[in-house]
Amino acid sequence: MRLDAPPATSRKKTNIAAVVAIALMFALAPSVQADGDDFGSVVKMIEHFYHVKHDGIPFLARAGMKAATTAARLKGGTAKRIAEAGSIKLAIFQDQEFNSAGRFTKFRTSLNSALAQSWMPFVQTLSAKDEEQTYIFLRNAGDNFHVLVITIEQREATVVQVTLSPKNLALLMQDPNGMGRAITEDATTTDPE
Amino acid sequence: MKPLSMRKSRLPLVALLLIFAATLTAKAQGAKIQLSNLDHLAARASQTVDVNIDERLVQIAAKVLSSEDSDEAKIKKIVNGLKGIYVKSFEFENTGEFTQADVESVRTQLRGPAWSKLVNVTSKKDGSVEVYLMMVGDQISGLAVLSVEDKELTVVNIVGPVDLEKLSRLEGQFGVPELGIEAPKPKTKN
Repeated sequence: MRLDAPPATSRKKTNIAAVVAIALMFALAPSVQADGDDFGSVVKMIEHFYHVKHDGIPFLARAGMKAATTAARLKGGTAKRIAEAGSIKLAIFQDQEFNSAGRFTKFRTSLNSALAQSWMPFVQTLSAKDEEQTYIFLRNAGDNFHVLVITIEQREATVVQVTLSPKNLALLMQDPNGMGRAITEDATTTDPE
Repeated sequence: MKPLSMRKSRLPLVALLLIFAATLTAKAQGAKIQLSNLDHLAARASQTVDVNIDERLVQIAAKVLSSEDSDEAKIKKIVNGLKGIYVKSFEFENTGEFTQADVESVRTQLRGPAWSKLVNVTSKKDGSVEVYLMMVGDQISGLAVLSVEDKELTVVNIVGPVDLEKLSRLEGQFGVPELGIEAPKPKTKN
């Protein structure tokens, strides 16, 4: 039996359809990939899910954001930063609406599955009423740990990634519920002079 | 290439080794209970808390905290030897937001032969509090607390050598909520 090759126009149409299908697959797939920049992917994921846009905040502009120090959250007395120097990545969403009409658990599922390969879920707190959510994920970073904190409230959200020493991680672990707040405040606070 | 008969004769040995390895793994992880079947409650709960502290994290705390600093030494002593702390807690605005089937999904796991329910354990909290211990030989290898109130469902699962005294010292730390558990008092002779 001899199989005839399809006509050239038919092959061309098939190729175009395949390209369109692949492009659609990429466009519609969950937006976080387990690549090196999970921080950026999580920011994009929030933007897509909630139809919001994060604010570009130059590093120096953060100087005026908050004056308090979070050092008191760590036992040991002396004021010090939680995160290792130069390790902070921060994205802020301000004065925008984070309302998914009860679909926030879908966001949670997508986030968890997207980060499952390279991050370990540590603490997640959720409130169905006002859709407030806090997620903390951890992963190894050599001798230290990367900590990714995602906080979503009704009108604002923050995504923070910091590097913590094992000691600071161990101290913060005692209060998992306060850990996200402590890291977020640390990331948005300048050293008191 | 080895004859087929020789390769076939090794199959039972390989199978035995695999079964042995699987048994060891099951014993090591057996005290960790599956809680993901409660995740759907988050959509209705006014407050959901989900804490996962696995063996690696517990070991970090045990390793890096100082034995000389009194505060750190206390924590170090509590977490030493533990292999995991897992907490799932749901608070609801109304009653009837979770079903008996939700509670049973946890309880059925604790009906296994290795688990035994502690009797005479009471709690200062309302509702029912059930405490289960997993024993391997004469060693405790895990503990589970199932706390059920009208508007609250909490499961605490601690893997590793832990008793009620250690549990009470963990309350309020590492995501373990205040359970108000009171151990049974030893009987006194008249």
